Amino acid sequence: MPTEEFAFLTVTELAKRIEAKKLSPVELTQYFLDRSQKLGPRYSAYALLTPEIALAQARTAEKEIRNGHYRGPLHGIPYAAKDLLAVKGVPCTWGAKPYANQVFSYDATVIEHLNRVGAVLIGKAAMIELAGGMGYRFASASLQGEAKNPWDTKCWTCGSSSGSGAIVAAGLAPFAIGTETWGSILCPSAFCGVSGLRPTYGRVSRYGAMALAPSMDKIGPLARSAEDCAHVFAAIAGRDPRDRGTLPLDKAAFTYSASLELKSRALKIGWLSNAWKKPESGVAKAGDAAEKLLKKYFSVKKAALPEGPFEDAGNITVSVEAASSFRSLIRSGRVSELVDPLGQLAGYVNEQFSGADYLQAQRVREILQKKMEALFDSFDLLVTVTQPITATPLELNLETGLSFADPLGGIGNLCGLPALSVPCGFTEKNLPAGLQFMARAGDDVAVIQAARTYQMHTDWHRRHPKIA
Amino acid sequence: MDETPKASSAKTGRITRREFARRAAVASAVAAVAPAAISTAAAPLNEHANIAAPNAPGRLSDPSSTLAPPQQQPGDLPKLSPESHAEAEARFQIISSQYGSRFNDAQKADIRRLCFLAQPPLDRLRAYAVENGDNPALYFKPLVEREKNPLENTRVGKTPDAAAKP
Repeated sequence: MPTEEFAFLTVTELAKRIEAKKLSPVELTQYFLDRSQKLGPRYSAYALLTPEIALAQARTAEKEIRNGHYRGPLHGIPYAAKDLLAVKGVPCTWGAKPYANQVFSYDATVIEHLNRVGAVLIGKAAMIELAGGMGYRFASASLQGEAKNPWDTKCWTCGSSSGSGAIVAAGLAPFAIGTETWGSILCPSAFCGVSGLRPTYGRVSRYGAMALAPSMDKIGPLARSAEDCAHVFAAIAGRDPRDRGTLPLDKAAFTYSASLELKSRALKIGWLSNAWKKPESGVAKAGDAAEKLLKKYFSVKKAALPEGPFEDAGNITVSVEAASSFRSLIRSGRVSELVDPLGQLAGYVNEQFSGADYLQAQRVREILQKKMEALFDSFDLLVTVTQPITATPLELNLETGLSFADPLGGIGNLCGLPALSVPCGFTEKNLPAGLQFMARAGDDVAVIQAARTYQMHTDWHRRHPKIA
Repeated sequence: MDETPKASSAKTGRITRREFARRAAVASAVAAVAPAAISTAAAPLNEHANIAAPNAPGRLSDPSSTLAPPQQQPGDLPKLSPESHAEAEARFQIISSQYGSRFNDAQKADIRRLCFLAQPPLDRLRAYAVENGDNPALYFKPLVEREKNPLENTRVGKTPDAAAKP
């Protein structure tokens, strides 16, 4: 029977034991189900657990492995999926009261892919209502309530993949699926001290996922290491005719092998000097140490993001697309059923933006893409701390407390660039800080390679909160 | 069903009731701020973009107005030109006329605040100079038959040549 140490093993480590038939997928699944049942409510981490599906999948995996049909590193590995991914016959609330009884009759493509590689779905991760698509002012903006950070339960996990962050950080599952339109994978990864990959836009199908801003929505994993993220990404990436936003087959698919770093290229890193105005001291210190370490293994020079109204273009894009995605909710007045006071109102304002302004944002977006392409002619990666702050208090008004400029998030998401956040240290309050690697579109392998190299020489990703 | 004022006006040459109400709202908003003077605004939402603007030579045009700035702007709202102030106020009036009965007074005040906070990003975005030939990052993709089912209509095993081979 798995013991406490299994809670924080990586996918890679668990997979080795499973492949060697030293670890039973059924017992591992039962262990994580029990742990999630016991500890999940403490962090408001789950929308619901799916024990019947999980145990059926685990039994199948166990039988297949026993019969010599090992499907790969996710075979028999439990995971949680953000509650905006359709799972046949299972409630899919999108974290919001108006959709509390919503059930789909099909699986999202991501779920299909994970089924195919033998992963085991143990539950749906809690999330911010509508992934923040209508705006939100408080961490409590969720059908499941405020997600509490396992490093300090008085603090938030960040959103909107709030439950996914809590689940991985608390050792309730080895990995979880999150989504990002703007910051929703990277910020929870940083606040919760886990690794999170935001893939290039179009590499992972959104079919069966709630649409927020279709030109910016991405799906990716949160896990214990960059390598684990790579394994999950390899399973979920690929062209899907049902999501016309996906890239062609040769550009979407991703394969990963453990020997990746042996064949790696010499990466040129640009350390961003203008991503954040003034990171808090503990975060800045962690960032400085990370820069120093990266210099041992890569060419590192200073770099600067292009300047312009790019965050504004991102804001307009998300606002208009979200107003369109949830138009019936706004027009029917049911938006008032959302928990958050800002979420109840912002859609009415976003609905008013003009088509000309939206198109101006898209024209600026095109210019920005070219500027970023030019920047990536000099660098393979742009790196800085993921967030300038650590996890914020649960009761903080996010509209004012998290209102700092975020050009990196704006640019990265507007251009659909891949990024990976890994833990890079802790502040005096024992809260994790994150380090972000961002590459040109399609070069997901570069962020994985660099983050993996960083984790081979640090142990921040090995640390986990003390959970009694 | 929603009316589409623009299309309706174009067809008939007359304005719909909603369009009339909208124009009236805009007119009243403009009238309310026209005799304006000084604003006491808070910092813009997006400091980075604001700071960055002067450092992007060649792409930025000057959004500043020649008209006098408006008066009686609440202290927690951003500083806006008269045109922008009128636009923000009009936005609020449209929402009020369309959905006003749904909101209490506090919510109305919040929506008005949000309408004003939405304006500086729009102004900065509009001030960013784009050329006529700068395309938007939108590309219409015709739905090619093959995309519906990638396995159908592939040439493998279907071509006359393939069938004719011994």
